[in-house]
Amino acid sequence: MTDFEPKVVAFFCNWCTYGAADLAGVSRLDYPPNFRVVRLPCTGRLNPKFILEAFKRGADGVWVSGCHPGDCHYIAGNYHARRKFVLLHQLLESVGVDPNRLRFSWISSAEANKFQAMAKEVIEGVKACGPNLTFRKDELKLGLSEVA
Amino acid sequence: MTEYIVKESNLTEFFQAVSQNRTLLSPVGQGEKCRLEPTTPDKIKLDFANTHLSPKASFFPQTERLLAFHKDKSLPNSNVYQDLGDKAQDCVLFGLRPCDAKGLTVANKVFQNDRFVDPYWKGKYEKALKIGLACLKPSPQCFCAAVGGSPFGEQGLDVLAYVKEGGLGLKTLTEAGEALIKSTKAESASLSNEIQKLEQEAYGLQKAEKDSYKVITERDLMEVYNDPHWPFTAENCLNCGVCTFFCPTCHCFDIQDEQSEKGGVRMRNWDTCMSSLFTLHASGHNPRPTKVERVRQRFMHKLKYIPIKQDGVFGCTGCGRCVVMCPVNIDIRDVAAKMCRPTQTAKV
Amino acid sequence: MAAFEEITKKIRQSAKTLLESGRVQTVIGFRTASTPLNAAPVFIRSAEDCDKLIWNSFCRLNLANYLPGREGKVALVTKGCDARSAVGQVSENQFLRENLYLIGVPCSGMVDNQKIEAKEPRPIVEVEESDGVITLKGQDFSTSVKIEEVLRRNCLTCSNRTPKLADELAGPETSSPAADDYSDLKALLSKPLEERMAYFKELIKDCLRCYACRNACPLCYCPVCFVDETLPQWLGKSDDPTDTFIFHLLRGFHCAGRCTACGACETACPVNIKVREFNRLMELSVETNWNYSAGLSWEQKPPLTVFQVDDNADFIK
Repeated sequence: MTDFEPKVVAFFCNWCTYGAADLAGVSRLDYPPNFRVVRLPCTGRLNPKFILEAFKRGADGVWVSGCHPGDCHYIAGNYHARRKFVLLHQLLESVGVDPNRLRFSWISSAEANKFQAMAKEVIEGVKACGPNLTFRKDELKLGLSEVA
Repeated sequence: MTEYIVKESNLTEFFQAVSQNRTLLSPVGQGEKCRLEPTTPDKIKLDFANTHLSPKASFFPQTERLLAFHKDKSLPNSNVYQDLGDKAQDCVLFGLRPCDAKGLTVANKVFQNDRFVDPYWKGKYEKALKIGLACLKPSPQCFCAAVGGSPFGEQGLDVLAYVKEGGLGLKTLTEAGEALIKSTKAESASLSNEIQKLEQEAYGLQKAEKDSYKVITERDLMEVYNDPHWPFTAENCLNCGVCTFFCPTCHCFDIQDEQSEKGGVRMRNWDTCMSSLFTLHASGHNPRPTKVERVRQRFMHKLKYIPIKQDGVFGCTGCGRCVVMCPVNIDIRDVAAKMCRPTQTAKV
Repeated sequence: MAAFEEITKKIRQSAKTLLESGRVQTVIGFRTASTPLNAAPVFIRSAEDCDKLIWNSFCRLNLANYLPGREGKVALVTKGCDARSAVGQVSENQFLRENLYLIGVPCSGMVDNQKIEAKEPRPIVEVEESDGVITLKGQDFSTSVKIEEVLRRNCLTCSNRTPKLADELAGPETSSPAADDYSDLKALLSKPLEERMAYFKELIKDCLRCYACRNACPLCYCPVCFVDETLPQWLGKSDDPTDTFIFHLLRGFHCAGRCTACGACETACPVNIKVREFNRLMELSVETNWNYSAGLSWEQKPPLTVFQVDDNADFIK
């Protein structure tokens, strides 16, 4: 599995982690390129079905990151999000999704180094899990094997 | 046509013979696990009430993939829909109850008529030989007699079988059925008297009176439609799709496209008139906005619209599945009784 | 346990009084069903119809399901779990407290038809109930079964059989068994990930996606459910097992901190899937994290609508 390059969907809050990613970029900090970012106004906007949809469409991992508790641009968005994350994290782990596939972090826009470290950690974790084969829509069931 | 007997000791051999070069489908499992599935001649059951799900799924699966395309530009025909074709294989169904066989004929007229022929249904329906198993002991919820059926009904079957002392009695009903039974070692016999007697006994065991809902087909359409009982009939309804999914004649489907980065597929899936999404227009308008219209639609379709289109044959065959399955006990027998009587006032 | 005749009498009496006094316009209760081992919801609007109301061991559905969006004043016949659901709906602003009257029935547990079928597979025509025993009658047999042996799973671990928040009780309080300790789920959660996923996939493999579980649930009142959304379409319409899995996961998630273990979903399921397993996972989480149970007071706020500044979430880096 060493040459497996995972695809990870990242949901970043506009006011913090998204800025941290920018800062990491302009600071020339290396981090793995395996994730595609979806910018959210706040982690409070994140509906759990976004995460499940990402897995269903074949994402090998999902990374959600927002502002530190207390720093929400909308005052309490991430406090509410945190409760949802607690449940979703436990639900998916309970039904057998490797917790390394679904990662959460708080990264402020000044924490480019934390962003870099976290990006590496997330991708390493997903690499260790291998490709997502159990929680995605089956290509073969689409009938593709018969037409190609 | 002709009648035959198969002795109990020869049953396995008989089922081996009928399933020569064909898949054998028959009810397997107990109670709610009783399903029509591929099985082997030695595992045929004769002591079941009826399958939990109706047999329609064998001809009209819940999801049927029709077309598919791939997006690989290095291969020919990328991004072009290709027919996945009809993959029907010759099979023989043993143990269809007469109500379900009749249900298949109702759906058959929807899928194959002078205006349309559905190739996916047609292939499966026509490649299946259907051996029915008459009901000697109807279940408490059965009412086939009330909707023009019979525990020994012959519609839609190639052969009608029934359990008799020491084995099976068979009555062939079509050329194909006759040829099939002739190819076995079944002995010919004269059974019409016994069949008549057993049929009368089985009728007697049903609570429902013969043809008691026929009056619905004679009533004025708009009068039945506008009857004030509908809001009360529908009040219980949860708008789940249990009744339609279990019904042997419900045939509505929804065609959907799905795709991924590698390709796409067009398929049809069971749909249900109980769902608000079923009639929702792209504009946002919904001609059946509440459960009252939806519940009315289901019963009007079964008991009024289908009889109009299919020469008085009800779209309900009296199998009783919806009666048992409905979580809130909306009993089609009660609704049919309401539809029979020309009520003027609303009554719960 | 008070005899069901007594409770039935009491319910009819209350319904009559409530309707005659104009306190409510509709009483929602149970009537005799047309099939054995069943009771059907009924909507009573006049005092003379009150005699249709009954109570027995088959009043499994949760009538709070009919509350959201209903106009006028309503009296609801409720078990302990149903009353909690109704209270939850009031606290979620789905129904006005002043329009609601709860006729509470101290419950002794409801019967699981599957367990009955396991004991008596022959077709049952008639059922009689007395003193904790059900007599099942068929064409040529009669079998007696002790009710406590055939109770639903959720009734065996119900710690709120008496609807304490009801406006009146239709019988003496009943004692409740010990609450669900989730021992089976905890045992499952100690197993490897693959085994867990296999367990849950096996659990829902028969699902037809008829959505009876959703529609029977008093918590599922969204104007448009996520499975019915089309722009975008979150869930495919086919029998794809991943779509089905996601439906059950999200249905469970949406019930988190709101489920009262009434079991209506499992009762309604036509293929007998233990759909409540997903709800239980969520309830276990909610209880462990925030020590919350739904519908125990009129003022309570559902756990996902509130937060604590110091909520524990160690897994977030």
